[in-house]
Amino acid sequence: MTVPARLFAVSDLRFRLSGAQLLLTLAILGLSFVVAFGANDLLGEVGSALVLVLGIMLAGATSGLAAAILAAFAAFLLYNFYLAEPVLTFRLATGRDIAPLVAFNLCALMAGILAGRLRNRAESIRDSNRRLASLLAVSEALQGAASLDDIERALSAIAAEQLTVRLALHRWRAGESDCTLTRAVCGGGASPLRSSDAIAYRLDGGDGPIGALVFQDLPASREEEDFLTALANVTALALARVALAGQIAESRAAARTEELKTALFSSISHDFRTPLTAISASASSLIAYRAQLDEETSQHLLRSIVDECDRLNRFTANLLEISRLQAGQMPVARQVLGVDEMIGAAVQQVRPRAGSRRFLRGAAAPDLQVAADAALFELVLVNVLENAIRYSADGSTISIAAQPAPDGCRIAIEDEGLGIPGQDLERVFDRFYRVPRAEASPQGSGLGLAIAKGFVEALGGSIRAESPARDGQGTRILIHLPLVEAATR
Amino acid sequence: MSDPHILIVDDEPSLLAVLEPVIGAAGYRVTTAIDARGALAALAHVPPDLILLDLGLPDLDGKALLAQIRRTSALPVIVISARHQESEKIAALDGGADDYVDKPFEIGELMARVRAALRRRAQVEAKVSVYRAGELTIDLGARLVTLGSEKVRLSPKEFSLLTALAASAGQVVTHRKLLLAGWGAETADTQYLRVYIGLLRQKIEADPSDPRLLLSEPGVGYRLSAG
Repeated sequence: MTVPARLFAVSDLRFRLSGAQLLLTLAILGLSFVVAFGANDLLGEVGSALVLVLGIMLAGATSGLAAAILAAFAAFLLYNFYLAEPVLTFRLATGRDIAPLVAFNLCALMAGILAGRLRNRAESIRDSNRRLASLLAVSEALQGAASLDDIERALSAIAAEQLTVRLALHRWRAGESDCTLTRAVCGGGASPLRSSDAIAYRLDGGDGPIGALVFQDLPASREEEDFLTALANVTALALARVALAGQIAESRAAARTEELKTALFSSISHDFRTPLTAISASASSLIAYRAQLDEETSQHLLRSIVDECDRLNRFTANLLEISRLQAGQMPVARQVLGVDEMIGAAVQQVRPRAGSRRFLRGAAAPDLQVAADAALFELVLVNVLENAIRYSADGSTISIAAQPAPDGCRIAIEDEGLGIPGQDLERVFDRFYRVPRAEASPQGSGLGLAIAKGFVEALGGSIRAESPARDGQGTRILIHLPLVEAATR
Repeated sequence: MSDPHILIVDDEPSLLAVLEPVIGAAGYRVTTAIDARGALAALAHVPPDLILLDLGLPDLDGKALLAQIRRTSALPVIVISARHQESEKIAALDGGADDYVDKPFEIGELMARVRAALRRRAQVEAKVSVYRAGELTIDLGARLVTLGSEKVRLSPKEFSLLTALAASAGQVVTHRKLLLAGWGAETADTQYLRVYIGLLRQKIEADPSDPRLLLSEPGVGYRLSAG
């Protein structure tokens, strides 16, 4: 039978006797009395007494100390009444008769106590083994917990299976808790702290209390109290571990945000200095070499100053967008966004720069939703679309399709442009990387895809390039974003 | 002697479009390349007298291209870069660049660096061992330093540092190179270097608090004015 052992169901006092043990004790006693009575003529008084002593020892060995003492007392009465002269009275005939009787009783009592104690020791070892085993199981369940929810689940399972008391886990955050006992025990009180009907254990983390484990009834025994203390310690460890894991995840996210910022700043300084360099070189040349420069070259320098000022102005506008995006929104604020809708908005935004290129939308997927920051997501799509526009011929088609993928949503943006050589497929996402091309080909800032990659990764997704897309030409950019449930889990 | 030939390597067409006619008008022959591949092809075709090299190239890092050039050629190379990080400059200079100019630059500054680099090259080739800047004369062969008509007394360490600076007159010399010249170890403390530069300024500058000859390039090194 594998009924879950209730460790502390009964008082831990060892003078306990279950019904079965009582019956067994009575049976042993009865049997030994019958034998002793039957063999009285044959063995004499002393022989019969020894048979009874044997019975007491057997009762002690099988049923413990309480049984031994009970058996010893009963055997004394039986012996005195039935076997010791004068028979059928509790009176004793002569002083001579008293001696064996006293000896018998002492023997019986001692034997019973010894046998019972042995029995009790064995039982207590078995109990403590069982306690150890269950503590081990508890510890395993708690250490396997990866989140606060896991810990709470493990605790309630333990409470249901192994405890007679109900328990509750209370967090102690910023010196606040809604539980009175928790406030007391975490606010500097002794731990464990008892009230009339509950006991609270403080859970210590690395720097101070992180919560309290509150049991709704008082423990019934010292062993149970020990067990609760151990349970509180293991729970504190598990909480601390979960908190640390959270901190590691946080600092990783912070590092990623930091990287993104560095990339952004570095891009910005490059994008500003490049036109500034042309402007500064042109203007200072006009000052320094006016006499040597022919009219055409001077005009060219002046033209380039105007053009580069234009470019600078566009960068400034972009920068404003980005800083608006960045203001307090990194790490990203997520909301549930319809993918189709976002693609529509992004196409709308790039259309003025698309010339006569056609945008071909894939089959509608109205139910496809991702958890993302709207501004970031749009910027990702716009950057990828602009890249497709920049590197494809006027009049060609750019197709955009979104579809559910096994653990998220996949967006494919495909152009009919030059394509990307195999060895550059990874590097196109590097900052400032541009696929080497003939001099006349268009030049981007080398940032669009890098920023897209940075933002997609900030959203928990991934991005990669495939080329040729079809018929030996074109590029396909594949964006993978986690779906709502996956992202918010 | 024909006009000096300069190869400009930069991936910005707009900058090339400005530099090409202007440097041409200043009396140089100009070739341009927009990436490392083009630069190597141009080098193999007609070796220039000097290279202006941008560090951010699309197909290869500028420092890697520099290393490749240095394997076969001792041509003067001036790095032009929008990367303002000191470590980038130092890496390029230690990787064999003769000098650097930050973007954005004025054309006068760029051309002064170009002239200094070409002059250094000519002096090395002609085995010229006398450096002059204003009142200061350094005769490397005779180990003699004079200010006007007066002899300047220098300790051996001061002389080693001044020699290293004069050998690249007009160009920046990194802390590392100066530590090697003065102490024989690049790991020596740059604090020593600062102290010795201070001593040198006491001896050769008219106003040591406003140096005109021995100039600091913060975070990178020192430059002896090209005179």
